[in-house]
Amino acid sequence: MPTGPYAEIPRVDAYEKVRGRAIYGTDNNPSGVAYGAFVTATIGRGRITAMDLSEAQSIDGVRLIVNHEHTSDLQPARFIMQHGFAFQSYSPVLTPNVAYRGQPVALVVADTLESAIEAASRIRVSYEEHPFAATLDSERAEPVPQAEAATAWPIDDIVVGDAETVYADAAVKVDATYTMPTQHQNPMELIGTVAAWDGDHLTVYEGTQNAGACKFGLAEQLGIPPENVTVISPYTGGGFGQKNTMQSQQVLTAFAARELGRPVKVVVPRRQTFHDSSFRPATRQRVRLAADSAGRFTAALYDVDAQTSMHDFFQSEHADTAARHYGYGAFRSFTRLVRTDTPTPGYMRAPFEHATAFAIESAVDELAYEHGMDPVQIRLLNDTDTDIVDGLPHSSRHVSECLRRGAELFGWDRRTPEPRSMVAQNGDLIGMGVAIGLYAGSGGPNRASVRATRDGIIEISLGVHEMGQGIRTAIANVVARHLNVAPESVTAILGDTRGVPQMLTAGSWGSASSIPAAEAVCEALREALDALGTNAPEGASPAEILALADHDELSVEAATFAPGQNRDALGEIDTGHVAPSGPVYPDFITYSYAAHFVEVRVEQTTRRIRVPRVVSVFDCGRVLSPRTARSQAIGGVVWGVGGALREAGEVDPRYGGVLNADMAEYLVPVNADIGSIEVGFIDEPDPMVNRSGVKGLGEVVLVGVAPAITNAIYHATGVRARHLPVRIEDLV
Amino acid sequence: MSDDRKRTIEKRPWSITRRAVLASGSAVGALAAFGLKTPAMAQETTPAAPAAFLPRVLVSFAVNGVTQDIDLDPRTSLLDALRETIGLTGTKKGCDHGQCGACTVHVDGRRVASCLTLAAQVADREITTIEGLGDDEALHPMQQAFIDHDALQCGYCTPGQIMAAVACVHEGHAGSEAEIREYMSGNICRCGAYPGIVAAIRNAAQVMEG
Repeated sequence: MPTGPYAEIPRVDAYEKVRGRAIYGTDNNPSGVAYGAFVTATIGRGRITAMDLSEAQSIDGVRLIVNHEHTSDLQPARFIMQHGFAFQSYSPVLTPNVAYRGQPVALVVADTLESAIEAASRIRVSYEEHPFAATLDSERAEPVPQAEAATAWPIDDIVVGDAETVYADAAVKVDATYTMPTQHQNPMELIGTVAAWDGDHLTVYEGTQNAGACKFGLAEQLGIPPENVTVISPYTGGGFGQKNTMQSQQVLTAFAARELGRPVKVVVPRRQTFHDSSFRPATRQRVRLAADSAGRFTAALYDVDAQTSMHDFFQSEHADTAARHYGYGAFRSFTRLVRTDTPTPGYMRAPFEHATAFAIESAVDELAYEHGMDPVQIRLLNDTDTDIVDGLPHSSRHVSECLRRGAELFGWDRRTPEPRSMVAQNGDLIGMGVAIGLYAGSGGPNRASVRATRDGIIEISLGVHEMGQGIRTAIANVVARHLNVAPESVTAILGDTRGVPQMLTAGSWGSASSIPAAEAVCEALREALDALGTNAPEGASPAEILALADHDELSVEAATFAPGQNRDALGEIDTGHVAPSGPVYPDFITYSYAAHFVEVRVEQTTRRIRVPRVVSVFDCGRVLSPRTARSQAIGGVVWGVGGALREAGEVDPRYGGVLNADMAEYLVPVNADIGSIEVGFIDEPDPMVNRSGVKGLGEVVLVGVAPAITNAIYHATGVRARHLPVRIEDLV
Repeated sequence: MSDDRKRTIEKRPWSITRRAVLASGSAVGALAAFGLKTPAMAQETTPAAPAAFLPRVLVSFAVNGVTQDIDLDPRTSLLDALRETIGLTGTKKGCDHGQCGACTVHVDGRRVASCLTLAAQVADREITTIEGLGDDEALHPMQQAFIDHDALQCGYCTPGQIMAAVACVHEGHAGSEAEIREYMSGNICRCGAYPGIVAAIRNAAQVMEG
């Protein structure tokens, strides 16, 4: 079995996608489908006192109006981080309560979408209004120390050494607070559900990262056996964490379809996705960082305030990553969760690490300037082989190599350190900045089955979802290598509960969980083929061996686990739960790494910021699919540009909700915002974390881009941005 | 470049807008004024009634060379007519506000946001969607270039990107990378495939222009 770098193959589903033939959840139109539209709350918090449906009911084509008076038999959703299935424990429309502005209060179903929308607009709702806290800074917001928060999996503050004392006595130090607003995932595919009943069996078509949770969660909420639910999600039109669990509309759509006895489709409008799904919580991070005279980090104090909702504790993992950026002599974190009257925040791509890197890597840059040291050199100096928190070795940590290779590709040696010292011919200020990023190398259990036929079909079923990251291509590449077949002959059944149990695809553990299982099941197939005793020549394909043995087909199954896990973990994914392990394993710790080098140009009079050039190098373990990995890495850098310079949910604390809840006002990067992005990979397999040597890529690619940009802005202008996004007015 | 954009708007061969129809109080009147076929029953409605019965309209247009005679609610967008009535789901809904470009189709060869276009507006016009851009025998050069440059990830914005990209070349706006970036900025790709999209358009433009 060859073990070297993987060959570059084209994206296996690109053909279907460029022809418009890839079928996404709400592309499905079962016969007789009816359409749903939501009525949403127009108050910040309170209770419905009356709902006048008369006008809406008179609209031609209206078939059903679902509100809290009809849903008493439905069970509320349970929060995924309390061992449930949903992005939050709060279920709109199941009670007369309003927990936040914009939550659904009724669902109208009609023969046409147009009638449903009109009828929804004609429902008159009366409310009793209650006071609320819309933002981190609201007077009624409630901070709770995270270590005291009642949760299924508590997270303690981190204490290594006596950081307070070391910091107090240090010669060189920085003390700065960094803030970030709420941000919204905004995958291009809207959240939506098509629900169709056949007798007592429910089939749901949905773009999701977690078909397993949808299956078991719907069964629980509807009070039916899980085996009566099928969830089909072969393609997800972008997830970025928004679609990692059950959404509010799912149970309501399924309920309406059951009531009506006909299929129902609900596509949640973009504005409503801002108001009733997860988002990146607003944060306030204070970093106190000290160094000795040589530039070694002797102490770091890290205080985090992270937003959560009133109904759930969305736990912060900011400090876990912060403690692993460098080999600090001492470290102490203190995290508070700040409760607000909003949906529960969630796992938007690099949910904590993007914010953590902004704070830590900005502080490191500030310290480097305080110390008069080169920003690359100070990072190399403070790299570490050992995890300061658990005292375990890193299974692989090539961040210094990422820095060195990136610096060379970028031409870091051309940089003059003084702020405002580099000016382009047209007068633009040039800035060059660097930052590193890291992301936990997690893994989980996965089941796999494969069927090989004499006709050359290789059909593999794995517990993972394709959402653009290219997992179908990686699977085809791996299976092709292990079975000696062409990648095109491999069909993968993913995101489909009719196959093996579907685990949540998130946390950059999709490949690290499913690829070892793919390898194991290929190995099992090889053994089963060998057992046929055909004496087939070395390198024969399964089809050739089956022909020699006069067998039509052969199917085998396998299961794999992350280090330290056993078969108990399968019980979790078999029941729709999530069972990741890592980054702290029994004998080592695993992270993926990034080093980003950014050039900015700041126009002197307008202060317009452009990012013409980025060079990024990644250590993600073995690269399974070079082409799709490169695209994913480039996309992560684009996300970083958005995170640093564009994206912010605007909230008016007097009213709640999100003011800029559409694609014109919530600014994400467009084509004209993006310049040259060069990415590279270390492509060294991790020797310990799993048999495939895979860590993870989807999130680390974004981590550190934002501080590399703000550090470059400081270099260009001398202005230190401690709040994202950085806009023109911040540099005037 | 902004001058070019202005001219593009002025040259648009129709002037009725979705907003005008919706705001007219009587959709029938607006559509009739626009020369559309309306069923006879439409004349019997009372426009002033608050929850007025809405008429249906019969609209005929060609999609990928096939004539479609459809009976629909006059408020139906071209996007919803394509996806929900005709069953061509390659065209995607990303915002329904003309802000993201996922729904881009060609109307008489010009790129439009089908979510901001009423189906009734395109009577007697030729619509091309992603399904009509290439066939089983041969992909359109732009489709092939998107594969070759991996100009996509999740694929949801891809049909709109490709339709916009073909139009971008036909408009003569693919002369440089900077020009392509500017003229493709109405199509958001949240996966961030922009560098691949620009490379694909550069490449396809050469093939298309022979």
